[in-house]
Amino acid sequence: MTRKHVLEGVRVLDFSHFVAGPHCTRLMAEAGAEVIKVEAQIGEAARHLPVIKDGRSGYFIQHNRGKKNLCLDLRTKEGQEICHELIKTVDVVIENFTPGVMKKFNMDWEAVSKVNPDVIMCSISCLGQEGPLSKLPGFDYIGQAYSGVLGMTGEAGGYPALSGMAFGDISTGAHAYGAIVTALYHKVMGGGGQFLDIALLDCLFSYHEMNVQVFDASGGAQVPQRSGHQHAFVAPLGLFKCKEDYLIIVAIGAQWNNLVKLLGREDWLDDPRFANPLVRNENRDEINVEIERWLSTVSDVTEAVRILVQDNHVPAAPILSVPEVMEHPHMQQRGIVQTVNDRVFGDVKIPGTPLRYSQYPERLELQAPFLGEHNEEILRDQLGYSAEKIEALKTSGVLSEKNI
Amino acid sequence: MVPQSMFDGIKVIDFSHFVAGPHCTKMLAEHGAEVIKIEPLSGDPARMLPMHKEGRSAFYVQHNVGKKTMSLDLARPEAQKICHDLIKDADVVVENFSPGVMKRHNMDWETLKTINPNLVMCSISCFGQDGPLSTLPGYDYIGQSYAGILDMNGEPDRAPVFADLTFGDVSSGTHAYAAIVAALFHRFRGGPGQHLDLCLQEILFSYHEMNVQLYHASAGAFVPKRSGSSHGVAAPAGIFKCNERYLFVLALGAQWDKLAKTMGREDMLSDPRFADLAARGANKEAVNKAVQSWLDSIGDPDEALKILQDARIPSAPILSVPEVMEHPHTKARNMVRTLVDPVWGELKVPRTPLRFSAFPDTPEQTAGFLGEHNHEILSEVLGYSAQQIAALESEGVINAKHI
Repeated sequence: MTRKHVLEGVRVLDFSHFVAGPHCTRLMAEAGAEVIKVEAQIGEAARHLPVIKDGRSGYFIQHNRGKKNLCLDLRTKEGQEICHELIKTVDVVIENFTPGVMKKFNMDWEAVSKVNPDVIMCSISCLGQEGPLSKLPGFDYIGQAYSGVLGMTGEAGGYPALSGMAFGDISTGAHAYGAIVTALYHKVMGGGGQFLDIALLDCLFSYHEMNVQVFDASGGAQVPQRSGHQHAFVAPLGLFKCKEDYLIIVAIGAQWNNLVKLLGREDWLDDPRFANPLVRNENRDEINVEIERWLSTVSDVTEAVRILVQDNHVPAAPILSVPEVMEHPHMQQRGIVQTVNDRVFGDVKIPGTPLRYSQYPERLELQAPFLGEHNEEILRDQLGYSAEKIEALKTSGVLSEKNI
Repeated sequence: MVPQSMFDGIKVIDFSHFVAGPHCTKMLAEHGAEVIKIEPLSGDPARMLPMHKEGRSAFYVQHNVGKKTMSLDLARPEAQKICHDLIKDADVVVENFSPGVMKRHNMDWETLKTINPNLVMCSISCFGQDGPLSTLPGYDYIGQSYAGILDMNGEPDRAPVFADLTFGDVSSGTHAYAAIVAALFHRFRGGPGQHLDLCLQEILFSYHEMNVQLYHASAGAFVPKRSGSSHGVAAPAGIFKCNERYLFVLALGAQWDKLAKTMGREDMLSDPRFADLAARGANKEAVNKAVQSWLDSIGDPDEALKILQDARIPSAPILSVPEVMEHPHTKARNMVRTLVDPVWGELKVPRTPLRFSAFPDTPEQTAGFLGEHNHEILSEVLGYSAQQIAALESEGVINAKHI
């Protein structure tokens, strides 16, 4: 049996925009699924995000490779009818509107499951489908604020710091992908269709691998607070400066012994003040002084990392900028930076999919669609619409297209 | 027949430790898979992490609920044989050692696929199975450094800061979970088993939803750089102070018009310096100053937030972890899961973010003690006699401890 990838034959109707939903369907397209993206006439918001060349957004290309595009007016009855007919033919429906919007389009789970009881519908939102905050307009950082993630990022006592990337959106897209393939697996095993409610808030909150539990298990004695360059609860784990550059050192397990030897402080090994990562954190100033003293004797950050990692097996890393990451030999060898050749834009570099399957080691060649590029193909080939009917939908403004 | 849970009958042998691998297998267990976690005689090093009660780590409990546990010395051929026998009948193997360690234990993909060609094996590492950095010791923050994440956090002219939570580990566990289930789906539809090579660095690098493309497509004119508490490109999009409380406010597109009106600054709407997103980004100091002045004039953060949210301007208070746990929305959605541990009693942890309408409840689960299921698995699954098991114990191939 040959298949071009693990999800070949799976059909997806995609109402999502911006990042979280599109990232999910990008992962599905990259795994061989057929994705039909439905967009409004003006095109989704991501088409207006930089860099833009001849009206074409590099940002949109990154998040929408490998999808077909149907551009129609969801507010019209005809537009909704077309979607209902397509829902009958697909395995998965995805959307990331604010809760309530799909109902306005007659495409909430109740309506969708009536049209196709076997379908899997995944709604991605910032704050979830119900609860007091659910209807608020949501973006990645809103989810980060309400999940306590922003509260844990930045200098102690100072402003919280924004991460310069939408890790909430992207990783929520990956969570949605995980939930969808689970439901697909369940379906082929004999289960039916179902509804998936995936929220940025839930995903971001789950990233507290320690804070929630430590606060609760300490009876509130240990309060998680952002601590800038040093971990809140365990040491040594933090950022240090070597000449003009920064590096991170993590020596919380067996590596603590290695670090102590490197620093010439073997006396700490049987000192109860340094017996475990938690008590070491209470005495971390003393440790950090020794680390800084040692770093002042080293020529530069590259040498410091070499001595720590290669010679002493202490986990450490230089803090690389995005351009440095893109040029790094390791990233080059693993092909982590992917070059996409877009029909308008030409070459665009984007992060490649991190899901690597031994059976499909090559990435599929995929193009991001133009707005409404597949209107005719989908209506004609999948729904059997006549040329006249398609033409009428065009002239009445239900369908439109644009080479952006 | 409709399965009782989503992974009814799926067997997972789990060699993982700390967070990324255990999070993945915890998700598999939460959805009904049978997970047997193999730990070294000294236990998963996560058992050293706080909080502790009678030697029992609550950190370990959080990441290992729902698994059976065996404690084996993997350097010993007897232990390797036990693992091979278990893998023969398993669907999934998960491991997150440094690349090379599984081979030393005769448990690399080349070996395991000859034992079980239908196996889905997932290796999670910091840098991937090949490449110049692959054998370095790795943790979440090391991956964040090499993915250009840490460089994007903090004030532009100061040291980077990090988020005090391992989103790299946890979300890598989720990526691994998704890849495994996709591979199981593929196998059910007639495909063979396969090996999955996932790494934190690459997963974290994919979080640059804009930076990589922006740097490349602008031919290097735009160099991504950390920008403190406000967004690097858009304005207003950042953290402001209202009295002693921090608030996040974002107003792009039509929301900007609403915000200007809300602030009583209609004058800004006709000012060319604030005409569009690019112009407001170029004049972000003036934009941010206007927002800050308005917040100062209101003075009460709750009131300011109510005004903004009523006007549907994206905004939020910066909550601490305890505040999140107590928030009415968090409670309404049962985002905090209460585990019942035999040592700890009740213990609060984040709930899985995957919510299925067909399986709305989180199962009742506990985490195993070290080697808790050694006897059960050896005798019931592999048919070892009591003498054989006793011999393995006295030779130190297996052990057990109430932690």
